[in-house]
Amino acid sequence: MTTVLILLALLLLLFIRVPVAFALGGLGLFLLWLKDINVVMVPQALYSTADSFVLLAVPLFLLMSNILLKGGVGKDLFNAVQSWVGHWPGGLGVATILSCAMFSAISGSSVATAATIATVAIPEMIKRGYSRPFVLGLLAAGGTLGILIPPSIPMILYGVITEESIVSLFMAGVGPGLLLTGLFVCYCLIYSLFDKNYKASPKASWSERVSSSVRALPTLILAVVVIGGIYLGIFTPTESAGIGFALSLVIVLILRTLSWEKLKLAVMESMVTTITIFLIIAGAKIFGKAITLYRIPQDISMAITTNIGEPWLFVLVVCAVLLIMGFFLESISMLLIMVPVLHPALGPMMLDPIWFGVLFVVMIECALISPPVGMNLFVIQAVAKVELGEVVKGVWPFILMMFGTVVAIYLFPDIVLYIPFKL
Amino acid sequence: MLHLIDRISGICARLAAWLFFIIGGIIVFEVVARYVFLSPTIWGEEMSRFLQIWATYLAAAYVLHTRKLIAIDVVVNKAPPVLQKILESCALLVIMIFCLVAFVYGIEIVIDSIRVGRATSTMLAVPTWMTEIAIPFGFGLMFVQALAELFRTVSGHKTSSPTLH
Repeated sequence: MTTVLILLALLLLLFIRVPVAFALGGLGLFLLWLKDINVVMVPQALYSTADSFVLLAVPLFLLMSNILLKGGVGKDLFNAVQSWVGHWPGGLGVATILSCAMFSAISGSSVATAATIATVAIPEMIKRGYSRPFVLGLLAAGGTLGILIPPSIPMILYGVITEESIVSLFMAGVGPGLLLTGLFVCYCLIYSLFDKNYKASPKASWSERVSSSVRALPTLILAVVVIGGIYLGIFTPTESAGIGFALSLVIVLILRTLSWEKLKLAVMESMVTTITIFLIIAGAKIFGKAITLYRIPQDISMAITTNIGEPWLFVLVVCAVLLIMGFFLESISMLLIMVPVLHPALGPMMLDPIWFGVLFVVMIECALISPPVGMNLFVIQAVAKVELGEVVKGVWPFILMMFGTVVAIYLFPDIVLYIPFKL
Repeated sequence: MLHLIDRISGICARLAAWLFFIIGGIIVFEVVARYVFLSPTIWGEEMSRFLQIWATYLAAAYVLHTRKLIAIDVVVNKAPPVLQKILESCALLVIMIFCLVAFVYGIEIVIDSIRVGRATSTMLAVPTWMTEIAIPFGFGLMFVQALAELFRTVSGHKTSSPTLH
């Protein structure tokens, strides 16, 4: 009963447009006060949220990808990939997806990935006569690879909440990330068989290929340093983000593509995104403490384990709930509200928490492109200056492919677990 | 008066943004010191956490002012303008209550820490009030900013377009 009331109160606050951070924090505060618990807990939770070395990876990864975004690295990357695969059937689509996948390896945010590649790929593809919904959907979906292929901000947050290894989570994302990239590429190839309106790009000469690849090389090296450094245990994720941030500055200085104005913008935008995320974490922390005192997560996980015997049913229910939440809620909020509630149930369900984290991230990817609220839809809408409806029309095949990925990693958990634990 | 509040929030936000930039520098220095000079610093990690606490709460008011806080718009956007105004005021009130609690109890913690002389248990032994004071400062500023936004909403003032740089 209490659970239902608290849930309704939270929904009410969210729907009257109280910012998520304050809906969680405010409701948490109210619940603490009802139980006569000293609300000095509130500033304490605020303090401990920001007093975290692990979370520092968030602003630093954001700085890195925003500096590269403003430095026009997306263009170099796209041109390089395009020179190799552009002449294939559906080649620009393939180039777009591969560019997204590569940028994902230096970006922890799907919004940054979508924005970076979209600014170059959309005009190029429209010019070549690809249908608009296809182009827009492709970029909205391609951008979501940003959080599945390491580094990944949602995975950092999942690791912080559940105290699982962020390094393992990062490595676990590689397999499904490549699988999803492969699916998207196949879709582009198949799509090109049915769409005869687009004009294939001319085949690039070898000298073009070499020169464009050289220009994109620093970005690729950066990806290797950031992910390789974490994998080999040379850096912690936070240190790797710091090194990546410094190297990205060096790259754009060498390429001479970043003006002082653009740098200021990159720094400001990284700060704003960081603060919005951190405030939600702080709010969720207060809310989490409050509902734990009311024994809500314990009750929910009890209810789950007594009513749902089978892991597959649990996964199905979780995915259905996340899908519905994803229609309305932004991804970070979804993660911070649901993970603390679901985490206690993983043990009795015999589900690996790293595997579950990756599953969760794939569902977040769906949320990012499912209307009416999906951050990537909004990004593509803003970059391409089109109606939201046109983007939405193009995304559904990609949502289906994401469902396919969920089924695949359920049936073959090694797609997720092989690289971190068996390699 | 409203402009003054916006200006202060804006300055704090820019300061916060560059603090994150500086933290990046500190971490790079730390890694270089460890691997190249083989002498890790004793202040790197702690310093960067301290700056992060300040940066996070310094900028909160600005993020509220520029309406960048994440919220669900779809429902309210369909409501008639008058209702929108009422709901917006309610949302701001929730924010203000929260800020007030964080401010008052945040100050309590600071006073307590100064009285007891609490310091971090690291080699640096930094007095903890130096970072704890970031909470009442940030949420005090956010409270004032929320009050300004409430005034704008009720009086129908257009939100002045936020300017960066």
